[in-house]
This record gives sequence, structure tokens and C-alpha cells, in this order.
Amino acid sequence: MRVTSSMMTTNTLRDLNLSLGRLQKTQTQLSTGRQITKASDNPTGTATAMGLRKQLNRADQHSRSLEDAAGWLGTADSALTSGLDLLARAKELAIAGANSGGISDPNARIAMATELRSIRSQLLGLANTTYGSRSIFNGTASGAAYSSTGVYNGNTGSVVRDVAAQDSLAINLTGTQVFGTAGGAVGDVFEVLDRLATAVQAGNDTAIAAEHLNLDSATQLMSAATVDIGSRAAKIDSIRSRTADQVLRLRDQLSNIEDVDPASAILTEKMQENSYQAALQVAAKILPMSLLDFLR
Amino acid sequence: MTGISSLYTALSGMRAQSRVLDLTGHNVANAATPGYHRQRAELQAVGNSTPGLFAGTGVRGYGVNVIGTTQSLDVLYEARAVREEGARSQMALASSTLAQLQSAMPEPTENGLGAQLDEFWGAWSDVANQPDSAGVRTQLLAKANSLTASLHSTAAQITAIRDASMSQVAALGNDATGLAAQIATLNRAILVDPDHSLDLKDQRGVLLTNLAKLTGAVARPAESGQIDVYIGGRTIVSGANSFALDGTTGTLRWASDGATVAAPSGDAAALAATITDIVPRYTAALDAIASQLVTSVNALHTTGYDQAGATGHQFFDGTKLTAATITLSTDVAGQPSKIAAGAPVLPGPLAPGPLDGEQARAIALLAGSATGADSQYHSLITNLAVETSVAFQRAELQDQVADSAKQQADSVGAVSVDEEMANLTAAQRGYEASARVLTAVDDMLAFLIEHTGVVGR
Repeated sequence: MRVTSSMMTTNTLRDLNLSLGRLQKTQTQLSTGRQITKASDNPTGTATAMGLRKQLNRADQHSRSLEDAAGWLGTADSALTSGLDLLARAKELAIAGANSGGISDPNARIAMATELRSIRSQLLGLANTTYGSRSIFNGTASGAAYSSTGVYNGNTGSVVRDVAAQDSLAINLTGTQVFGTAGGAVGDVFEVLDRLATAVQAGNDTAIAAEHLNLDSATQLMSAATVDIGSRAAKIDSIRSRTADQVLRLRDQLSNIEDVDPASAILTEKMQENSYQAALQVAAKILPMSLLDFLR
Repeated sequence: MTGISSLYTALSGMRAQSRVLDLTGHNVANAATPGYHRQRAELQAVGNSTPGLFAGTGVRGYGVNVIGTTQSLDVLYEARAVREEGARSQMALASSTLAQLQSAMPEPTENGLGAQLDEFWGAWSDVANQPDSAGVRTQLLAKANSLTASLHSTAAQITAIRDASMSQVAALGNDATGLAAQIATLNRAILVDPDHSLDLKDQRGVLLTNLAKLTGAVARPAESGQIDVYIGGRTIVSGANSFALDGTTGTLRWASDGATVAAPSGDAAALAATITDIVPRYTAALDAIASQLVTSVNALHTTGYDQAGATGHQFFDGTKLTAATITLSTDVAGQPSKIAAGAPVLPGPLAPGPLDGEQARAIALLAGSATGADSQYHSLITNLAVETSVAFQRAELQDQVADSAKQQADSVGAVSVDEEMANLTAAQRGYEASARVLTAVDDMLAFLIEHTGVVGR
């Protein structure tokens, strides 16, 4: 092939351009810290990265829901634990009242009855426990779960949190599930306490014994609810740690795909810089040369 | 017999060598002229090939004659270089258009449409967690607004790419018409003055390459050194006549009858592909995402219940199904309490409690739908990335092909300064030698005149 000086110039220019282009690409990677600055740099990597980002965002969302669920369940748990303590004290009072068939002092019975009524109102307070501004034993109804007279305002709606992909969990128990159903022969725990207080005040041993039994079943209902809440909290805890692991893993994968490995990028950059300099030097030596330099 | 005629033989040598020197100067001067092909003087010895019956011994020459000037060029190589230039500019433009499209939808980033979709669904999930919070509901409306704004601006950027391409077509129509007219003018000049046509042909070659870059035009040789130029089989230059193109409508047409120009390559082909294929395709894909978003969210939202227990609200305006128009419906815009977070209680359907967030939760789960807006967007981005990266690879490859075609053509036609210097030296020596012959013959004649006979003294 016949070689002319213009061909050499064109070739050299093109090669220099290519070399500079490679250098620029590496420098963009280094300065942005990213391997994929445009989707077309690596279509497969982009698809994977987008999928990972989506998973990561959803995992973040799940983390928020998990925090919320954990807070809700913790609130419910402590309310129920206090409720069980109150019921235990009510039971003591019921036993004392029953054994006090002989107690003639009406003031003592009145004091016991008063304490029972106070337990009832404390329990009402617990039943109206809120998480944020929301009553947690109220189903999906708004406002307080129980009125001051002990009427349940809530419904049977469940409160569900998405805690993981394809996994959701109801985090609430309704008032009836925890405190029993109002009305009927037995009624809810508030009615039981009400009647117990009346029976203790009246010294009616038969009634006290009957309400004592009712109190036991109310306690069983509440402790079952506590266990239920506790097991859900345990599940939430295990999912939380799993989600945290997952987030770390996803970030790691995303970084592998998107981020530049600085060591290798810097090395590549140095090599490209050297080859660019070499190309420039060679071009500077060869291009100006012609026969003219040697003809006198 | 050496005599007066030898003077003329020497003179013809000096003339020929000075013509060679002339052309060498011309070549060197044009070493960097685009499209220039080196020229050579064609020399021929002048002799009477049939010696006379009583002529002396051997064949006597009468010097040298310049019979013409030729150009070094290979027609096939030149045609190939022109064709590859057309393909090169087509692919370069196509890949840069796709790169523009890609920058309208920057992924993977923290603030692209993908991230905005994630935030939108996340906001639904937050409403599901706290259906009673006006702040969270307001936040959802804000996220929805920023999502629709992003869709609007992406759609607008894609439209802008199409509009820019259309105005480029208009400019291209004018340029191509002008180039064709210049080629026709040069054709006429070459016809009129064939003796001085070489440099005109080079100029015409440059114009042809430019026309090929614009439209993928090809040339075929015609009578008397003229060329005819065709685009997609239809004549744009025929001898001294040229035809006009019109791109003012955004489509390149023949001005005479309005037929569409079928440009096989060049910018025109890339622009046509952008306007009729690439932009409509990606606009449709983006519209499909918007439409999917509207219908899937609305399907759930209209059956859901707001805080007041009312149902039947649209979330997005159900009549605006494109990326450029998608907007919140008047049912919920600016009214966070109207967001239907509550799921119907079945059978019934009955309104749920005011703090129910189940419908919002169901809407948030649309994020993971295999046929949902998100997966459509992912495949849009992946398709665009693949198409762009393929376009860049093809453009790079075509760059090399076109460069090598140009080199092949240059290897025949381009000026080599070294070669010219060698020719220069040879011609100079030839000139000097011819001059020496002249002097020698002159001396001989002078000797004859001075020293023989006395007649006329």
C-alpha cells in the first residue's frame, strides 16, 4: 500500500482520539465513582442495578413498616402486661372478698369495691392505649376504643403491615379479642369487674364466686392475647434482622455493579495515560518528517 | 545528424521537465486540499516510428511531448469511500440521537423515573401504615405530583428530540438542494472545458461526499466526464440539471412531486428513523407506562373508601392516559382526605373503618407487579440501553470501515510529499541535463560556424 503523509496524519489523529476517548471514559468513571454512568455502558448491569435498587427501596419501605409494627406491638404488649397485673390484683381482691364472708366492716368491703372500680377504670385506660394518635385496640375505627362507661366503639377491622416481599402480618387485636364481648350472660372484662365490685361491696359470696370464675376466663383471654402479640413481635424481630441483612447484601451487590473499583480504575487510568503520552511523542517525532529534511 | 533539430529536441526536454515541475508544485500546494488527487504529466517520446528509406542509421528521436495530464484515482475505491461516508454519518447521528434519548431517562440513578416510582409506591405504603395522618396523605399527593411532572418532562424531552430532528431535516433539504445544484454547475463546467477539468472533478468529488453524508447519494459516470447522482434510485443530478429537495414539513420530499425521499443512508436516513421509528416507539412505551399507572391505580382506588367513607374517587384523571398528560384527578387533587386508603368490606361492599389502610396497601403492592408500570419502565430502559449500545458499536465499526475505505482511496490518490520531492529532483535534473544538451549543441554549431569556411566573412 502506498502511504502518504496525509494518511499518516489522519491515522495518527484517529488513534490519538481513540486513546484520549478511553482515557476520558476512565476519568469519568473515577470522578463519578461509577462504572455505569450511562445505561448503554452496560445494559445488563443496568437492568440488574435497577432491579437491585427497586428491591433496596422496597426493603427500606419494609424496614419502615417493620419499625412501625414493632412499635405498635411493643405498645400493645406493655398495655396487656399491665392489664394482666391489674387482673391479678382484681383476682386477689375477689379471693379476699370471698373469704371475708365474715367481715362485718362494710367500710373494708367498700374499700375493696372502690379498688376494683379503680382497676376497672385503669383497665379502660389501657384499653384506650394509643400508638401515635391511634387507639390500638380499636380495629379500623377512629377515636377511643372504649367510652368512659366501657362501651366498645371499635370494629373488627384488621391492621396489616407488609413486612417483607410476599409477606404481610396483622398487628392488631380488637377490643373484643382482648377484653371479651360485651353483653350476654358474662360480658366483657369491664362488666365482670363492675359486677364483682358490686358483689364485693354487698358481700354476696355466691356472686363473688361466679364473677371470680368469669374473671379467670377474662384473664385467660387476655393472656392468650399477650402470647399472640408476643409471638407476632418475635416474628417481626426475626424479619427485621433478616431485612437488615438483606439491605446490606443488596447494597453490596449494587456497589459491585455500579461502583468503580478505585484501585483497578486508577491503574487503568495510569496505563492509558502512559500510552497516550507515548502516542503523542511518537506522533511528534514521525509526523514532521519528510524527504524535504534530507534534500539540500 | 546532430544539428539545429537537436536544439529543438533539447528544448522539448526542457519544456516537458518544466511541465513536470509545474505539476509537482501543484501537487505539493494541494497536499492538504480535501478531495484533491495527485496529477501526473503523461510524457511520450516523439520519434518517427517508420524511418525513411534513406534515413541514416537507427531511429532518430525528436524529443519528448507532454500528451496530457492524468489524475491518480481508483473509481471503485472512490465510490466505496463515498458510500461508507454516508453510512458513517448515518450511524453517528443515530447513536447520538439514542444517547440524547438515554439522557432524557437517566438510569440507574437516585433521581430517575425508577426512583420516583419507588417513592410513589412507598408513599402509598406509608398511607397504609398511617391512614389517619394528613401529613402522610399530603406527602403521597406530593410524590404523585412529582411523578407526573417527571413523566411530563421526559415526554417533553423526547418530543424535543423529534422536533430538533424535524428542523434538522428542513435544513438538510436546503443543503442537499444547494449541493446538487453545485454538482450540476461543475458538470456543465467540465463539459465546456474538458482540458482543465481535473481540479473541477476533485471539487465535485468533495461535494458528492458531502451530499452522500446528508442523503446517502451515489454517483454514476455519465458522458464527457460528467456524473449523474441518485438518491435511493431517483435522480437528483443529471448532467447539468439538478432537482430540489424539500424538508420543511419534517419529512424529506422531492420538491417537484412531493414524493418521500428514500435515503439509503446518511443523516437523512438517521433523521427519518428518529422521526418515524425511534421517537414514536419510545413515546408509545412511555405512554404505556403512564396508562398502566393510571388504570392500575384507579382500578383499586375507585373501589376504595376515603376517610369520610365515600367511594368511587379516581386517583389519576382516567381520561389522560399519556405520559405528557397524566395528572391527578380532581377527585383527590389538593384533598388528601379523599385518598381512598380503605378497602371495601365484603360482601357488600361496605365502607370499612375510617382508619383502614388496606386499599392503600393493595395499591402499594402494585410496585411488585410483573406487568406493572415499574417492570414496563425497566424493560423500556433495558431496551433503550441495548439499542444505544448496539448503535454505538455499529457507529464505531462503521468509523473503522469508512476510515479504511478512505485510506484505500487515498493510497492511490493522495499526494505524498516524499514522492513529489523525488519527482522534483528528477525533473530538475532532467531540465538541467536538457539545458546542457542545448549548450553542447550550441557549442558544436558555434565551432562549425567559427572554424569552417570563410564565406561571408
